[in-house]
Amino acid sequence: MSERLKIAITKGRLLDKSVELFEAAGLDCAPIRDPGRRLVHSLPNYPLDAVLAKAPDVITYVEHGVCDMGIVGKDTILEKGGSFYEVLDLGFGRCRFALAVRQGSDFYGTYKTRRIASKYPEVTRTFFEKKGMDVDIIKIEGSVELAPILNLTDAIVDIVETGATLKANGLVPIEDVAQVSARLIVNTASMKLYKAEIEDFIARCEAELERREHD
Amino acid sequence: MRYTINTPEGTRDRLFTECQERRQVQARLTRLFRQRGFLEVSTPETEFYDLFALSGSAIAQERMIKVWDPSGKFCVMRPDSTTPIARVAATKRKAVPLPQRLYYDQTVYRSNPAHNGGSREIPQCGVELIGARGKKADVEIIVTAIDALRSCGAPKFQVELGHAGFFRELAGRLELAEDAVEEMRRLIEGKNFAALNDFLEPHRGNPACAALERLSRLFGGAEVLTQAERLAGKTPAVDYLAELYDELSAAGYGQYIRFDLGMVHQIDYYTGVVFRGYVEGAGDAVLSGGRYDNLVGAFGREAQATGFAVDVDAVARTLPEITPPVLRTIVHYEPGYLAQALEAVDGRPAGTSELSPCRTLESSLNLARDKGAEAVLVFDKDGERTVRV
Repeated sequence: MSERLKIAITKGRLLDKSVELFEAAGLDCAPIRDPGRRLVHSLPNYPLDAVLAKAPDVITYVEHGVCDMGIVGKDTILEKGGSFYEVLDLGFGRCRFALAVRQGSDFYGTYKTRRIASKYPEVTRTFFEKKGMDVDIIKIEGSVELAPILNLTDAIVDIVETGATLKANGLVPIEDVAQVSARLIVNTASMKLYKAEIEDFIARCEAELERREHD
Repeated sequence: MRYTINTPEGTRDRLFTECQERRQVQARLTRLFRQRGFLEVSTPETEFYDLFALSGSAIAQERMIKVWDPSGKFCVMRPDSTTPIARVAATKRKAVPLPQRLYYDQTVYRSNPAHNGGSREIPQCGVELIGARGKKADVEIIVTAIDALRSCGAPKFQVELGHAGFFRELAGRLELAEDAVEEMRRLIEGKNFAALNDFLEPHRGNPACAALERLSRLFGGAEVLTQAERLAGKTPAVDYLAELYDELSAAGYGQYIRFDLGMVHQIDYYTGVVFRGYVEGAGDAVLSGGRYDNLVGAFGREAQATGFAVDVDAVARTLPEITPPVLRTIVHYEPGYLAQALEAVDGRPAGTSELSPCRTLESSLNLARDKGAEAVLVFDKDGERTVRV
């Protein structure tokens, strides 16, 4: 192996799961577990340097080629788009995008243009575009559930894990928009220029994922 | 109106060595193109939107920068150079007998999403070989692409070949609806291994499946062609790539060649071999091209064609920075001694000396001090002398 690869990992829950995966695949992740004040964490037993970033920034760093690979949720990929290879579904960080409405309301039973609140306007737009339906999309930064409660919108498109938050606020999911999980993405030029190194890393992750499937 | 002192997003001023670094790449590329018999053409900065929209250009409408001509017709800033050059080749029949080698050195304009750091103005140098089909034409364009990157001084680079026909043939064996083919194409282009597997699940019985499933992983050295044949049987596309590879290797170009059979971008536009060039230090392909046999015909003159474009700034960014010359000498001259002063400036390396616009020697010395020059060279009635600063 000649080249040290650089990977950007989404901070938070995906980071913990990524470290678990790497360690199971035989990579020593002590520098990530105990980062101190460093920003770049070099793994001692594998030619890989890790940086931690917010999800959309992971895509930015990989797209610009300053990181060769990244770990990021499919939700961010769907919302932000971009040009990179999406090579592995890592299987963790599973949840789904759903369309949710107020309990008892008939979302499709009207000719009026519906209003949708979402933190993910692009995901929402694509979903309704496929249905050939015109909707007004309002971007909400915080708790999206508030928008229909306050009567700002007819529905929301949001990430649903257990559905407990929706239920507590009198909302019900009526349709799945997309399935979400963590993905391994790769810069297009790095994939070609450091093929051997990147394929080795992918193979190690794949082997561990396969082992998990059979457990 | 304070904002008017800033340049719009996606545009920038270029100063000094930034210009030189771009010019250097352009000079190296165009010297090679001319040497190989390509003639320069230059096309308008703005053309009718329909030129690009109706001829099947791969640039999405939202990425074109729109303007209007004086009659109110809808125009765009040139989003790519191949389409206008195909128009020239098809319509200027007398001036352009086929086959014809044409090159360009001009900017294309594309709008980007906000705040992604991309440039709206992309200088490109490229070639088109119009009115020639077959292996010799493809080989010529591929070696020109390799020599283009080599002539720029790129330390580590490779040119990757694919073939539009390979995907078309395999997709054809599955007998899918058009939008399903497009979805599959997107998954292969994005090397979305997992989603591609899921997509192919219902077609497991079809022998083409195994090859399609592996398609996005079929990249690398010449061994890829053997793998492809093992998976898909004999295909004209892979046989053709193998023939090209033999030819290129015999000419000493084999070491620069890689393959990516999962290179399935713009599948409706390209009709044969496609290729991309990668340079270490650039986060995306810096060179892109391929065979497009239908485009020129869209303008009324059937002609097979192939060509490529180099992203000049992307290449320039991977090269060592140019060190600007250091100003050493300010040349001060008294009235009547201009000729001698000019001779002194012209005789030194560019940028290391300049004329002083000052009337008195004292002002010239102050100027030299301000600009960090070592000495003032004086021409007056006593002849020539050097005053240290």
